[in-house]
Amino acid sequence: MSVISKSVAVNTKATSHCSTDMFTRIVKLSPRFLLALLILPVIGGLISVLLPAFGYAPVLEHTTFGLHGFTMLVQTPGLTHMVMLSVGTGLISTLLAFVITLMILAAFFNSPWLNRIQRLLSPILVIPHAAAAIAVGFLIAPSGMISRLVSPWLSGWELAPNGMFPHDSFGISIILGLTLKELPFLLLMALGVLAQPELGKKLRQQHKVALNLGYCPMTAFLKVILPSLYPLLRLPILAVLAYASASVEMPLILGPNTPPTLAVAIMHWFNDVDLNLRIKASAGALLQLLLTAGLLAFWLGGEKAIKALFNDLLTNGEREYGGIYWQKITTVLTVFVIGFILLSLIGLIMWSVAGFWRFPAALPEQLTLLHFKSALMQMQSPLFNTLAIGLVTTLFAIIITLLCLESEQLSAKPMSRFTSLIIYLPLLVPSIAFLFGLVWLQQLVNNQAAFFNVVFTHLLFVLPYVFLSLASSYRRLDPRFAHVAASLGATPYKVFLHVKLPQLFAPILIAIALGLAISFGQYLPTLLAGGGRIATITTEAVTLANGASRRTSAVYAIMQMALPLIGFILAWVLPKYFFKSAQR
Amino acid sequence: MHATKYWQILTRYSLCCIAFCICLVISFKSIASTELQSRWQHVESLGKDQSVYFYAWGGDAQINAYIQWAAKQVKARYNINLVHVKLSDTSEAVSRVLAEKSANNNDKGSVDLIWINGANFATMSEHSLLLKQWANKLPNFNYTDPSNNPAVNFDFGIPTNGMEAPWGQASLTFYYDSLAIDGTVNNTLPTTLNQLLSWSTKNPGRFSYPKPPDFLGMSFLKYALVMLHQQSDDTLKAQLNQPATTQNTAQVLNPLWDFLNKLHPTLWRDGSHFMQSGAQMRRLVGDTELSIAFTFSAPEVPAAVKRYDLPKSIRSYAMQDGSLSNTHFVAIPYNASHQQSAQIVANFLLSPEAQAQKQQAHIWGDKTVLIQSTLNTQQQALFKTAKPHPSALPFNSIKRTLSEPHPSWVNAIMQGWQARYGVSQ
Repeated sequence: MSVISKSVAVNTKATSHCSTDMFTRIVKLSPRFLLALLILPVIGGLISVLLPAFGYAPVLEHTTFGLHGFTMLVQTPGLTHMVMLSVGTGLISTLLAFVITLMILAAFFNSPWLNRIQRLLSPILVIPHAAAAIAVGFLIAPSGMISRLVSPWLSGWELAPNGMFPHDSFGISIILGLTLKELPFLLLMALGVLAQPELGKKLRQQHKVALNLGYCPMTAFLKVILPSLYPLLRLPILAVLAYASASVEMPLILGPNTPPTLAVAIMHWFNDVDLNLRIKASAGALLQLLLTAGLLAFWLGGEKAIKALFNDLLTNGEREYGGIYWQKITTVLTVFVIGFILLSLIGLIMWSVAGFWRFPAALPEQLTLLHFKSALMQMQSPLFNTLAIGLVTTLFAIIITLLCLESEQLSAKPMSRFTSLIIYLPLLVPSIAFLFGLVWLQQLVNNQAAFFNVVFTHLLFVLPYVFLSLASSYRRLDPRFAHVAASLGATPYKVFLHVKLPQLFAPILIAIALGLAISFGQYLPTLLAGGGRIATITTEAVTLANGASRRTSAVYAIMQMALPLIGFILAWVLPKYFFKSAQR
Repeated sequence: MHATKYWQILTRYSLCCIAFCICLVISFKSIASTELQSRWQHVESLGKDQSVYFYAWGGDAQINAYIQWAAKQVKARYNINLVHVKLSDTSEAVSRVLAEKSANNNDKGSVDLIWINGANFATMSEHSLLLKQWANKLPNFNYTDPSNNPAVNFDFGIPTNGMEAPWGQASLTFYYDSLAIDGTVNNTLPTTLNQLLSWSTKNPGRFSYPKPPDFLGMSFLKYALVMLHQQSDDTLKAQLNQPATTQNTAQVLNPLWDFLNKLHPTLWRDGSHFMQSGAQMRRLVGDTELSIAFTFSAPEVPAAVKRYDLPKSIRSYAMQDGSLSNTHFVAIPYNASHQQSAQIVANFLLSPEAQAQKQQAHIWGDKTVLIQSTLNTQQQALFKTAKPHPSALPFNSIKRTLSEPHPSWVNAIMQGWQARYGVSQ
């Protein structure tokens, strides 16, 4: 191994020495550009939130520093409750999503069911949080699908009963929604890692060896594959945790409001007519930041503790931990998860075409296309905006990601820990904490270019995902192809374009589809950076979800799902026809 | 002799003087009116052929369609491109103008026209975020009979000072599911605040209101507050039209808290959770979780039934003890990029054609702010109506209107509410 890497170093040194063409120079500069692109807005946004938190807000005629905001914050009734709710829902939902992901992987590793489950669950990834929340809410509400199926023949309910879900004060509905939404993401990320030719092959072979040694399949997965897999899953998990602890859409639609989670409360304070509340909101944003940081630290600490406690288990030679029962539990759980999701989707589709549909009827009285017709009439410009923003953002993100990864290979130096951490900065810093400041900064620089501002803000969220999904494939690309090409006299540019990109065709398409899906789903960044002038399908859907009928928001949710789904289907189909020989 | 001549001169002078004065008065008057006219011509010439970004709540399809209609009209008449920026909460636009002011953007603001009233207006006017003295100079403003009509010069008791042009009038009306409230002994339709409490006690979990600071939730609390003070003595009653202070707050609001303490345990989710918005309340009526609800725009009810969003069994009515009413306005931020164009749009929205169109039940059904006596017969004819939908509010059902308390009470109610009920026990 070390011989190979040494030869890589020598080889790339030779190529970079002889060619200082345009391509190489751009590639060399790209990591710095990337850093600036990510650090400046996030840090700038944070500072613009930090100053008001300590009482400095010239607009509100506050120019002295003080702890006034924090005093107001501490005096807020129910602050402890809000914090507990944020911490509890964030941590439990992430833990659940992670554990279920592992169980599914362990139970179905090397089985054709894994691909089927992936195919069933991956569409969930593209459903925006708001739409998913509405679908879940409809299922578990007192007048929801489950309640309708048992009424009135079993329950005797002629009117919807007095229920607890959604909006239960313990946040169970939020946990349910977040878990269902994050599970496919983690699963897809894990499968993405396992799909890498080198690593995947190695792990599968190791798994086979373990099976031959008499390990139960699930034990084999947990003891052999998980230790290699987990480090590559760590950042996605932390991103999920950070998101879950500070998200706005899910708790807004599914959560309690006496009091709500901290992030939702902050958003309300920011948007309140009483402008002095912004100082409190800024202080709250700072608290949210600490909270999320604490959660991430807690997770990393827990990881260390588990590693220390269970290290011996890996090598104790025990082959069986009731694997058959666990397998059954996992199957039941998977069926439950998929059934739950399918029922919500069926509900969503029925709502989009429903005429009158009074409780407790299980089916609508009549079907109508009225909702689709009236929605499509108003949808043209939001649709155009959604696509334009998504494409511009994603293309830019893909190009800069590829250049950065290429620069890493050209200089034969892995990206510094600092840089790789910065890439995930926008995912790890709660967006509610820096977005408001960022918008203020954008207005200072250029007020009128709303489209540019939105693309720029989306980029902050799209770039990490694109990077996350491309980086491992790129890094694990077999370097010998590039060496052969280079030794035959190909310039770095040619190697990049004709040798590396075709091999990466499938991962690039997946990354594009993912980038588009992320961009399509952004609510808060679109709303704030665009000043409400740029309407996308998602902003319209959330406005309508808060302001109109289930039927119309079902139509928008279906549109929201359809758009990214097309992207993922293309990403799945195209590699079967193009650059087939470059794949394995 | 000398004296007579002196007199003659004096008389001549004084006559001249009087004549001059008369001339002066007449010319001033005509100057004033021609000044207004030429001002308007100036506005029209500057404002044509531009875009106007109209920031308005966008949660109702009917209202959005009406704004689309208005956009087509101003396009045809003035070649103005009216863009409706749909808000889920008007305070978003307030925040935006404030953020622009903080970024020293004093003449290229993104908001040209904003649909506003009450607390949002109070905030914007307090922070000097609005353009002053334009609305009272609009030609169509005269149709509102401003000298005899305080409703167009005061917004929740605060003088508008020409910062906003009236657009429409709204009243708090109720609607119910006639299959759920079937008129049996313990389940008859409540038509006063007290009946509402006793009905909710007998039928727990079937009524609630959106969580303050939601506009509709606040409106219900204000309706309750005003009703609870109907029997109070005049000095206490007068406090409702004064700013809330630390001295009078407890005394004025205590009856409200007593009432809510009795009402809350009977509400949906036992009053431990409240819905986020009026639209969510409407959805819950559609889900049959709630049996009775209220709205500030009565026509949304038949419109929702026609779109299947509410069941066929819905009926609208007004409370017999009074309906809270207010006027809503359009205003121009001080830094608007297209101030003249925004004035042209505001003037169009005040025109008899636009107001009559808006009042049609199937368009929007929002009550006009124009006074019929200022209109000619041709203009009055525009306001005739067609037969209403069964779920619509019957014509003339609002018998008694209640005026809004001073806007500072909104904050006082909200803080008191938050402290008492913001955190569930």
